Amino acid sequence: MSAAHKREKGRNMRINRKSMMAAGLAATAALVLSACAADSEEEPVAEEGAGEEEAMEESWTVHALLPQGTDQPYGGTYLPPMQEAAEANNIELTLYNSGYDGAQQSSDCEIAVAAQPDLIILWPAVGDAVTPCLQAANDAGIPVTVTNSDVPAEVQDLTAAYTGPDTYGQGVASAEIMCDIVGDEEVGILQVNGATGNSTAIDRRAGFQDTVAANCPNVTILQEEPGDWGAAPSQEAVADMLTAVGPENVDGIYAADDTMVAGAIDALKAQGIDPAPLYITSIGNTELGNPLVLNGELDGTVFQSSSWDGENAINMAVQVLNGEIPEDRALFMPDVKVTAENADDPAVAPEW
Amino acid sequence: MSEKQVLSLGNRAESRKDRVIAAIARRTDQRAIILLLVVCVVALFVDTTVFTAYGATLSFIALTGLLALGLTAVILMGELDLSIASILAVSGVVMASFDNVAIGIVVALAMGIVVGIINAFMVVKIGINSFIATLGTLFALQGIAFVVSNEEPVRIGDSQEDIEAGLAFGDELIGPFTPRVLLFILAFVLIHLFVSRMRAGREFYAVGGNRQAARDAGIPVNRRVFTGFMISGFVAALGGVINTLELTTADPTAGGTLLLASFAAAIVGGNLLKGGRGSIFGTMIGVFALGIMTVLLKFQGVQVDIQQIFIGGVLLLAVITDPASVRDVAQRVRVLFTEFNKTASASRPE
Repeated sequence: MSAAHKREKGRNMRINRKSMMAAGLAATAALVLSACAADSEEEPVAEEGAGEEEAMEESWTVHALLPQGTDQPYGGTYLPPMQEAAEANNIELTLYNSGYDGAQQSSDCEIAVAAQPDLIILWPAVGDAVTPCLQAANDAGIPVTVTNSDVPAEVQDLTAAYTGPDTYGQGVASAEIMCDIVGDEEVGILQVNGATGNSTAIDRRAGFQDTVAANCPNVTILQEEPGDWGAAPSQEAVADMLTAVGPENVDGIYAADDTMVAGAIDALKAQGIDPAPLYITSIGNTELGNPLVLNGELDGTVFQSSSWDGENAINMAVQVLNGEIPEDRALFMPDVKVTAENADDPAVAPEW
Repeated sequence: MSEKQVLSLGNRAESRKDRVIAAIARRTDQRAIILLLVVCVVALFVDTTVFTAYGATLSFIALTGLLALGLTAVILMGELDLSIASILAVSGVVMASFDNVAIGIVVALAMGIVVGIINAFMVVKIGINSFIATLGTLFALQGIAFVVSNEEPVRIGDSQEDIEAGLAFGDELIGPFTPRVLLFILAFVLIHLFVSRMRAGREFYAVGGNRQAARDAGIPVNRRVFTGFMISGFVAALGGVINTLELTTADPTAGGTLLLASFAAAIVGGNLLKGGRGSIFGTMIGVFALGIMTVLLKFQGVQVDIQQIFIGGVLLLAVITDPASVRDVAQRVRVLFTEFNKTASASRPE
């Protein structure tokens, strides 16, 4: 079934559902009835009347289910390009922020499906918990595109496309930097992961560990702990791990993002350990991580462009709304390795 | 004697009116009712999708509401239960850890009751403040959820049928109501009847109002506190089971946003945190008022931080406009004016 057919089917279902709901409410509240009846009767007429105008300049409503917003550095720089792209493409964008709570995102999804937008953009808070949301959207004929963190493979056929970083690939790239700088030396490192249960955290962890095991088995991960994507929790986690394994046994650190690596470096400094001689890698190339690469405290990071991420979430949505099914379901952000050699290159200037 | 009776009848007619007025004045949920009406009227003018898409609205309300109902049973006795969100998370993980979903559900619910007993034991037998005791269980259970789940979401059951059964659990069962909403309504009816109609439940108010007086009156205070925490624990575990079944996955971090929301609903519903005053009905109204307001704001595309400002504002308004607070303020203003008048008349030249 084509996307256009699905939308048409969804629209018919919506009209029917509205009528049924209005009838149900009539039995319970007269006040609500009048408003609902007016709402449900008027809407289809308005849609028909606007048909020609829509054909001339098509506009869409899109709901974006995100686990973060301007409350996080990444979200703060992800949203403006997304909103600009939405405006440029005549999209009325409604944003949700579940705060990485799977249950909250599930509720947000029900609300979004009930609002019957033309498309839903999903950034999963908890990858494995998105199935009901995708199923509900699919049943309502609303196409879903995924941004930033992909959904599990078994439910990918319920989505139209994915844009964003190759989160597993980022872990791989960071591990490759680690393997390059370590060479054949036998080293022990600490690993700081993202928030527990978060799909990006799981993928990056897997990407890093798989690559280390395959490419440089001489690197031993002594201990790992979640740093919850924050500098303070990461600093605490690294301080605990240093105490547990003994600072003398630690030759390096991998943190799943730059904010956490900054916390990890602070933990080293707090114990009087110079981070420069240690092997340290992370992911992000943020405004926090890039200067650390330049000053030699961080050996390498992987560039993640928040603006690319936000903008392409909309670009892909527009493509799907226009009925253009992308050849490759996934459009990955390029994984550019940033080390002391290219950290000051304007092409990898940090964005967040 | 008969004259006295006639007089008393006359008085009774008058006092009935007084009693009605007094009963209304005694109600603690008027502010929640007013808020609910205001929110509904605003929603009617702004966006009726809140009502037409009532399935989504009810579903949104139900999970927070479930936790808030259990929490109210504890609050009525002047205690707090901060562990509910962690009970929700750990019960889900425990349930999903069993290959047999039915056994998992039973164990998860039993675990909720056991945690309630542990909380009550610390409060009643060891004498730890309930805020601190349940803060401890909050962290401990969070850790247990991570350990049991190996820090990753846990899929329910061991087959595709289990996943499909879980997905079906989120479907409408009776009319537009999903099992989540039906269980929420059932919990409301049962807890409301228990607290308002059964002696043991009514004694919660006495325990919360004046614990020593309740003890002197022969009320088994400790047993009531145990009952309250067990209700709270069981209902939170039920929330975890529902959440896990619907998502087909147990999330060890689940419930993070629910704890404060359920407290807010209980407070807006007119429940006094010191205990002795409030109602399950009030909590229900509070849950609906805040829930509909939040859903309306979401439909309007209002950012989460702005939503929180709205909820915070409503919460502050609910506390500030508490009749007891208003009476206190009025009394202080009166005293201030009286003193000012005295000073003014004393300083006036004769």
